[in-house]
Amino acid sequence: MKDNRMAGDANQRWISVLRIVLAVVVTLIIFFPVYWLLISAVKTQAETRLPIPTFWPQEFSWGNFGEAMRRVPFTRYFLNTFIMSVGLIILQLNVALLAAYAFAKGRFWGMNVMFFFVLAALMIPEQVIFVPVYVLMSDIGWLNTFWALIVPHGASAFGIFLLRQAFKSLNNDVLEAARIDGAGRFSILYKLLVPMAAPTVITLGVLIFISGWNSYFWPLIMTNVEHMRVLTTGIAMLRDSIRGDEHLNFHIIMAASVMAISPIVLIYSVMQKHIVSAMANSTFK
Amino acid sequence: MANVNKAKAASPGTAASVRRWGSYATLEKWKDFLFALPALAFLGVFLYYPLVNTIYISFTDWNMVRPDKELVGFKNYNWLFTNEDFYQSLQVTFLYTIMDVVLTLGFGLLLALLFNVSSKVYAFMRGVIFMPYYISMVIASMVFLWIYNGSYGFLNAVVGYFGIAPHDWLINPATVLPALVGVSLWKGVGFAMILFISGIRSIPVEYYEAAAIDGASRFHSFRYITLPLLSPMTLFLLITTFIASMQVFQSIHVMTNGGPLGASNAIVYWIYNMAFEQFRIGRASALIMIFFVIILVLTLLQWIVSRKKVHYEG
Repeated sequence: MKDNRMAGDANQRWISVLRIVLAVVVTLIIFFPVYWLLISAVKTQAETRLPIPTFWPQEFSWGNFGEAMRRVPFTRYFLNTFIMSVGLIILQLNVALLAAYAFAKGRFWGMNVMFFFVLAALMIPEQVIFVPVYVLMSDIGWLNTFWALIVPHGASAFGIFLLRQAFKSLNNDVLEAARIDGAGRFSILYKLLVPMAAPTVITLGVLIFISGWNSYFWPLIMTNVEHMRVLTTGIAMLRDSIRGDEHLNFHIIMAASVMAISPIVLIYSVMQKHIVSAMANSTFK
Repeated sequence: MANVNKAKAASPGTAASVRRWGSYATLEKWKDFLFALPALAFLGVFLYYPLVNTIYISFTDWNMVRPDKELVGFKNYNWLFTNEDFYQSLQVTFLYTIMDVVLTLGFGLLLALLFNVSSKVYAFMRGVIFMPYYISMVIASMVFLWIYNGSYGFLNAVVGYFGIAPHDWLINPATVLPALVGVSLWKGVGFAMILFISGIRSIPVEYYEAAAIDGASRFHSFRYITLPLLSPMTLFLLITTFIASMQVFQSIHVMTNGGPLGASNAIVYWIYNMAFEQFRIGRASALIMIFFVIILVLTLLQWIVSRKKVHYEG
């Protein structure tokens, strides 16, 4: 009996060793493209063209980053992307906070129908509505401005949904007490609800920032001048300028790409726990 | 909760709350509505109105080169339905989508089973696997463009090691779609894994304990407890991944431009190309409407099926 159990324990240990070995291998495979991006960004052109690629640079070519910045107005792209992403946070977050408050704690006629229209928006991708919005932006002279990049994305159905869930789970008694003390809606929302739901609000802000930073389709359509390009469209342009001969310059494209994703990777590393739990809880519960 | 409210309402000194929550004043309702108004206005102006407008444009011959447009009935739709490119585009999109959905969900579930361990090391590895989800599709496409490169790409070095001749993965009609699916799979598999793990963890442990007492094997527990109770999560992932895959655009725009010979000319890429390269707004809008109806029908269909088949916990 005792021997049996010990044999079982030994088996268990073997299984968990095997499991972690397999898990590490899988993790390394999935991490590989990021590693390849980083390592290619600091290789010399000659080294990117070896018949048998090297896993560690023979010689570090830090100049690739400067070269990428000389070829395209990289700082401008970076700034544009930052302005657009922060603008999206400010607008989307406030619009979503107000709406989430109304739908979670308010009462008005047609509330359910209106909330249905908010949720239905999740099913309409931006590729379905971009033509009339483009025409509208063109008519009011907003093409190639930050307005066209930010304002049409003012309402995020996902954000409203996420915040409404968070607000709904908060106790009404505190709000009632504040109301009796004469607090208005704005102070209840911003001084009471927002701090109480702070993790969700911050996570949503981070998610808006990331999706703004990574957006491509919208900036591609709404801007067509050099000084308004964002990182994604700018790097696509950098690559287009050498299309056909890219294999000569992948080290430069990779260097530009490393600079473009570094803020996101940094934010992700810091916020990972919150982001993962927000994602896991954002489904149908 | 309802009882508590009643008790409060009955107690003296809370007359104000009775007035507010008992018969909520008209003015208060208007104020609540005003808070929802900005969101509704944005959705109206930038989503629902453009949607209706796109339907209208799809019945016109609008060409961005000319200022005027005329109603032409179903001409754009007829043009599409009698065009071979349309059926090729549909085929490409569905083939891509099915590959992407099956692989993302399949590998997502396998990874969930492998990585569902509560320890710091596993949490760190889960974080690494989920990270590509937040790397922009454009950058991911650039990296894979480099890995797939016919002359100096890493993939050719790997297959060369196994004695296979180098390949132009993105220029061959047979490999271009799997190559594009690879990028999407790399980005999406971590997301599927995280959601599956969250689904598995919400299954009560007692079920497994009861099954173990009855002598069920690990496989039987998985087959008869985990899988059925995961079905709501599976359905959610199926729908969201399906709709996202159908919209494939960025990787195609960066990596293949719809080529070779239309072998990666998925619907959204074709829409973009028609509208902004050929300026055929009317035709593009007709294609948009067909695309939208497909997404809508599939979403509704999946929901109807799910109501009958999906096991929801009571």
